[in-house]
Amino acid sequence: MTATLTSGPPATSPGRATFTALAIRETRRLVLNPVFLFAVAFITFALWAGPDAGQTEIDTANPYPAIFLGGFGMMATFWLTRSMRASEPVVGVTPVTQPVRTAALCAVAIVPFACGCLAILRFVQLIPVSSPLYGPFSPSARVAVLVGQIVIPALGGPLLGVALGRWVQFPGAAFVLFLLIYGWVSLVTILTMSHASSALVAVLRLFAPFAFFTYTGDTHSAGFAVTAWRGSPWFFIGWQLALCAIAVLVALLRGAEGRVRTRIIRALAIAGAAALILLVLAALGGFTYPLTA
Amino acid sequence: MTGTVLRAGAWPAVAGISGAAVVVGGFGAAFPAAATVLLPVCFTLLAAAAAFTLDEPASLVVDVTPTGPVRRTQIRAVALLAPLAAGALVLLATAARGLALPWGATGLALAGNVLLGFAAACVARTRTGEPGAVVGTAIVLVLMAPALEPHVARWVRTFPAPGAGGLSSDTVWWTVLAVCAVAIAVSLGGRSLPSWMSTVPISRRRRSYPTVQPP
Repeated sequence: MTATLTSGPPATSPGRATFTALAIRETRRLVLNPVFLFAVAFITFALWAGPDAGQTEIDTANPYPAIFLGGFGMMATFWLTRSMRASEPVVGVTPVTQPVRTAALCAVAIVPFACGCLAILRFVQLIPVSSPLYGPFSPSARVAVLVGQIVIPALGGPLLGVALGRWVQFPGAAFVLFLLIYGWVSLVTILTMSHASSALVAVLRLFAPFAFFTYTGDTHSAGFAVTAWRGSPWFFIGWQLALCAIAVLVALLRGAEGRVRTRIIRALAIAGAAALILLVLAALGGFTYPLTA
Repeated sequence: MTGTVLRAGAWPAVAGISGAAVVVGGFGAAFPAAATVLLPVCFTLLAAAAAFTLDEPASLVVDVTPTGPVRRTQIRAVALLAPLAAGALVLLATAARGLALPWGATGLALAGNVLLGFAAACVARTRTGEPGAVVGTAIVLVLMAPALEPHVARWVRTFPAPGAGGLSSDTVWWTVLAVCAVAIAVSLGGRSLPSWMSTVPISRRRRSYPTVQPP
């Protein structure tokens, strides 16, 4: 009799079922968000159309997924998070705690992440990893460059949007942050063009959620060629993943109490230290000087 | 009354975004090589700041007071001085650094950006009391399109950077200024709006409240 009772599938815990239901609901809201839909439509069009004929560098097409899935995804999840603010007095008295609701919101990042995975597959189909457009990087480092430029920003942007939505009251915070990050990445990339050998400039270039690793242009000595900048693409992925972890933890910290809060703060300290170490390793690793193929 | 209406404005948002624009523009002035990338970002932020000037959290109350939308908008337009002053400060810093920009065209682009944000807010204000966030986001997406998507930059330029193709920024901004003037006039008049702009029940109801004219 006992064997009959215990042989069935294990029952799902109520907490897990609630989380799954919330995550599915939030995911449905994200995929119906007009900003996110526009981003996906644009990426689909850009990757379907492919690069322009005679394209001499990967960097013209690389930032699209980061901008649209990451940047626009950040704005979409920011709105998604903020949209629940008005109903907080009602939602706040339900048995589901705010960190669980935040975790469900963070789970929606799997959608842009999946889009990023599809985007990298299409990108590799359009410009194979063996192409000389990637510069002097090894094949594995080329994949790392693409993962760091296409897949991880698509995951990190939406997570950042959730953290921002949980902590910042100002409704325009997402687009202001988007423009600040865009301006910062542009500035440090332009600085790198003129100070490619500088270690400090390399750290500044990698101190961002997105970074370029190559420059295509007239190098005078080698003519029109692809130059690989300083830095390790693999450690840069580690830095980006640490930033993602920080974004999730900062988002979860809102409304956390007691032991959970203590654990989150401890994890945040570890993630911060890991991020710092990985940033230094990213700047010091890889090529230690600009290399032209 | 002017002071009261001005005090109720979304000053933290306007000043905060204008401040961020000054920082970005300041980097553009400090690093001349990046000026043509950072100044458009600065101007876009100023346009977004202008979009917040008409935010009115107490719109349900304010909209039925005897002070009409024209007068309220006129008073709130004073707040546009903040983004315009921030932009002028950035341009002064850029000029002081010796950058050779077409100053007339750059000034026109600054004025056009700010007026575009304000005009979009005027139109959206007929539907909602706090148009800043939505209009600001939309304005950012539109104004950054040439920077984010090179295909758009081939058709239209929003900043007088040398060497690009497409419509010149002067043509774009003179056209935008004209369209903005019409849009502001129409939205303040509250009539002749396209049907899709006046379909929100609360908006219709608010417009139909009886108002008492001041003696």
